[in-house]
Amino acid sequence: MAPLFQSTALLVRLRLRRLVNQLTAASQPKKKPGDKTRTGNPGKKSSQVILYLGGIMMLIGFASISASAMYNLHFALDPPDTFWLTVEYSAALTVGVAFLLLILWTSTLLITIASGELAKPDWDLEWLVTLPMRSDTLLWARILERSVVNLSGTVALVPACTVIAWYSGYRWLAPFVGILAAWPMLLLVALVRTLLDTGLRLTLRPGQLRNLHAVISVLSIVTMYLAISMGLKGKADFMLGVAAMMPDWLAYTPMGLTVRAINERHFADAALLAAGVAGQVGVIVWLGVLLLRRQLRHGVVAGGARESARNSRNTDAGTSAPSRPSRASGFLSAVQRRELTLLGRDRNFLVQSLVIPLLIVGGQLLLGTSGVATSMWKDPNVLASVAFGLAAYSMSMSAFQTLNTEGHALWLLYTFPRSIEDVLKDKAKLWGVITLAYPVVIFAVGAALAPALDWKFLGAMLTALLGIPIYSFIAVALGIFGSNPLEQQQQHKVKPAYVYLYMALSALYVYAIVAPNSTQRLIFMVLSLLLAFALWQKARDQLPYLLDPDASPPARVSTSDGLIAAMLFFVSQAVAAAVIISGGRVTGAAVLISFSIGGAITYALMRYVYARAKTEGVPRIVTEGGGTRPLLGVASGVVAGIFGLAYLYAIGSLGLLEDVTRNNKSYMDLGLWVIPLGVIAAPIFEEFIFRGLIFGGLRRSFSFWPASLASAAIFAILHPALAIVPVFVLGLATAWTYERTRSLLAPMIVHAVYNAAVIMVPMLFV
Amino acid sequence: MIEFLGLTRTYGDFTAVQPLSLAVQRGEVFGFLGPNGAGKTTTIRMMMGILVPSGGRALISGLDCHTQRAEVQRHVGYLPDNPIYYDFLRGREILQFVAEMHGMERAEAGRQAVRMLEEFGLEEVVDEFAVNYSMGMKKKLGLACALIHDPEVLILDEPINGLDPRAARDVQERLKQAAASGKTIFMSTHLLDMAEKVCTRVGIIHRGELVATGTLDELRERVDQNASLERVFLSITDEDTARATAT
Repeated sequence: MAPLFQSTALLVRLRLRRLVNQLTAASQPKKKPGDKTRTGNPGKKSSQVILYLGGIMMLIGFASISASAMYNLHFALDPPDTFWLTVEYSAALTVGVAFLLLILWTSTLLITIASGELAKPDWDLEWLVTLPMRSDTLLWARILERSVVNLSGTVALVPACTVIAWYSGYRWLAPFVGILAAWPMLLLVALVRTLLDTGLRLTLRPGQLRNLHAVISVLSIVTMYLAISMGLKGKADFMLGVAAMMPDWLAYTPMGLTVRAINERHFADAALLAAGVAGQVGVIVWLGVLLLRRQLRHGVVAGGARESARNSRNTDAGTSAPSRPSRASGFLSAVQRRELTLLGRDRNFLVQSLVIPLLIVGGQLLLGTSGVATSMWKDPNVLASVAFGLAAYSMSMSAFQTLNTEGHALWLLYTFPRSIEDVLKDKAKLWGVITLAYPVVIFAVGAALAPALDWKFLGAMLTALLGIPIYSFIAVALGIFGSNPLEQQQQHKVKPAYVYLYMALSALYVYAIVAPNSTQRLIFMVLSLLLAFALWQKARDQLPYLLDPDASPPARVSTSDGLIAAMLFFVSQAVAAAVIISGGRVTGAAVLISFSIGGAITYALMRYVYARAKTEGVPRIVTEGGGTRPLLGVASGVVAGIFGLAYLYAIGSLGLLEDVTRNNKSYMDLGLWVIPLGVIAAPIFEEFIFRGLIFGGLRRSFSFWPASLASAAIFAILHPALAIVPVFVLGLATAWTYERTRSLLAPMIVHAVYNAAVIMVPMLFV
Repeated sequence: MIEFLGLTRTYGDFTAVQPLSLAVQRGEVFGFLGPNGAGKTTTIRMMMGILVPSGGRALISGLDCHTQRAEVQRHVGYLPDNPIYYDFLRGREILQFVAEMHGMERAEAGRQAVRMLEEFGLEEVVDEFAVNYSMGMKKKLGLACALIHDPEVLILDEPINGLDPRAARDVQERLKQAAASGKTIFMSTHLLDMAEKVCTRVGIIHRGELVATGTLDELRERVDQNASLERVFLSITDEDTARATAT
């Protein structure tokens, strides 16, 4: 027994050390030369915190689900009016709870196998058998070790057993009882998992193994949902029905005996039942080890490291002639064709990127309490949101992972006379189109079931469909920051913070779908498009550094900085206004001061960050060596101002102006304060953000016209609806002046002259 | 053809490549020798635009390897020290893909791929997934990938490291052929035997610093007329160690 204990302890320590290393590796700064950490993104501390919090949340979540599952089982299986809390369970309830444990056990087993090493080419047993220990000892140690180190099992089974113990009157001892009671079941998980992965590796070809792994990962999600559904109100009927049909002998299986042992009040009986569990599990594991030894009687020889094309039936082997280009593939680039080939051959890739998202979103909808699953067929906005959400979620597994699918073969892309950006664009387009399949199907069904196919349906559908290619680009761009293609560990290939960021941005787009009118929809779509460009630009800076472990790109002003600055400006302005006004009357002075504070904070912060990062291309108010050309500013300001006045006159003569002034009382209440606001504060801060950062950032990647039109558009849509047209023209005039002078002084003058004209001329003459 | 202008690379405080200045003429077979960890692979990766120089530049055909990477690749074929390929793709498909990415028309790329595989003696594994290849086959496939667009410059990182004698000889023959056809070859190696057989000129890099360049005969003169390259190598890298510890 001593060598068994020792080797188990060794294996457990090895496994735990690995787990701890995995969890902490990223958060410890490493100083070793030639180290593989980038100086640009030194740690992932925040994601570690998320990980720990997530673990605790999951334990609590499973405990609460188990508790409500037990309530549901009680109401379904026990006769009405019986009181069950802290009393012995009825025979029916015992079977029901045993069934709950059985389902949790099954899903734990499947998840363990799916997340385990089944599909990995390396098999650690091949290494372990070289250690100087008897094979018996090794196998026992391996099973014991796997029963102790099993995160998903612990998260699912320990809370459930703890809840059973709580309701059996153990109260604060319940967690300890829970851990003790869960362990035999975890031992069984470890046994079955070891038997399966050993047996499967010995008998199946690697290709089949990967396919099986894909199937198991799908099944694991389905059973997990079934288990969770038992604890949900109104969703549990199916599983409760199954539980009611369970045979009585379930009470004599390890799960049933575990339930009875926990629930039993008399110590002697409880000990007897516990001994029964121990005996059963002991015998099963002993038999399992015998079977394992039989499996390994010819030695530890895996079928082969990778899938072989030659002896696999499902690939068209033997065709050495180059495949003829089919008509459909003529539209595709070499990269896109390669991606599709891999998708067709690699079941794991297919399932991970296309099937699992469907299952997860579908499961959420069916199990969720929001009633979306039924209301989506009646309300086109909900339907479109679901369609877009599914596609966006699926792209977090596909488009977001473009670099990870290249993996260690990424070097090949660096040998081609094409920019990496082009290759990634090809992939973004491909996933943008493939992913359209889900919403197209959903809308087809939706159209068949919809009460009416009206503009509302069409508008929602178009918004969702147009959003998908945009978000495909956003996903690829964020994936460039959010993935570690050279990482060996599957779970470290993605940086969670970027996935969450992508999800949050996708959720924003849902607002575009449910927006009350088409103008707002359009605004949101323009903003998303601009966001896609901005992120793509940031990503492009990153591309030459992808395979560089140490260097990061030099900091440059980019469009995304401008978008962030604009947001910061609005938020800080709103906060300042809230503090200054704080319940009092909105005065012109207060507006001026809060506007100026918000602008100054944004300006100072951006300048500070740029100075810290030694950023290139920071906009200047006056360029060195003159050339600021204030007169050019005055001239364009006069032109823009005349346009603005003509516009005011035109809508005034149409009678629209009165409506606006009536609705916008506060604007008129500013009094003379509006003059310094419009002529001094607004030009300084808004020119810095909209011309200096946004137009300047866009100008890095685009020629003058697209950059000026896009920056003028975003400048315009952030103004009141009536002002959009003249402000757009002002945006163009200032961008043109900035382009000509390369300094911010002239556009600031344009802005000031325009504002002076549209504010003061009506004051003087109307 | 290939020029290094003060090319430098640091990892934090550690200098992997000291400012390196060197020119390799058209048609030369230049051997970049040095012990493990001397900075050979770092230099080659900077030539390929995979790593970004901390200072200085590397030029190929007058083009900057970092800022004009894509144009540079038109003229360059590259074999990494450990070529890793995509799962689930056959050798032929990888070659075809590489040829297409170099701008070859698809059908022509397919024909060229089959031709290269035959030329490299890989016909028997033509329908095997490339990840299952032995190291020798992977290197041969890598060399085929490097040569498929008929580049003027070959950049090879340890081309025969880890190959059995027969495969090593095959690859050496290939390289001699390529050199005879006028290609410029820049290869790193720590196998002196290989350098002696193939290279017209060598440079010895030690602790990130280029400590000697010249033809093999010139290097021999520095130590002893009849010395083997091994003795030359050991003495040069030793001297350097002595000097480094003395200062």
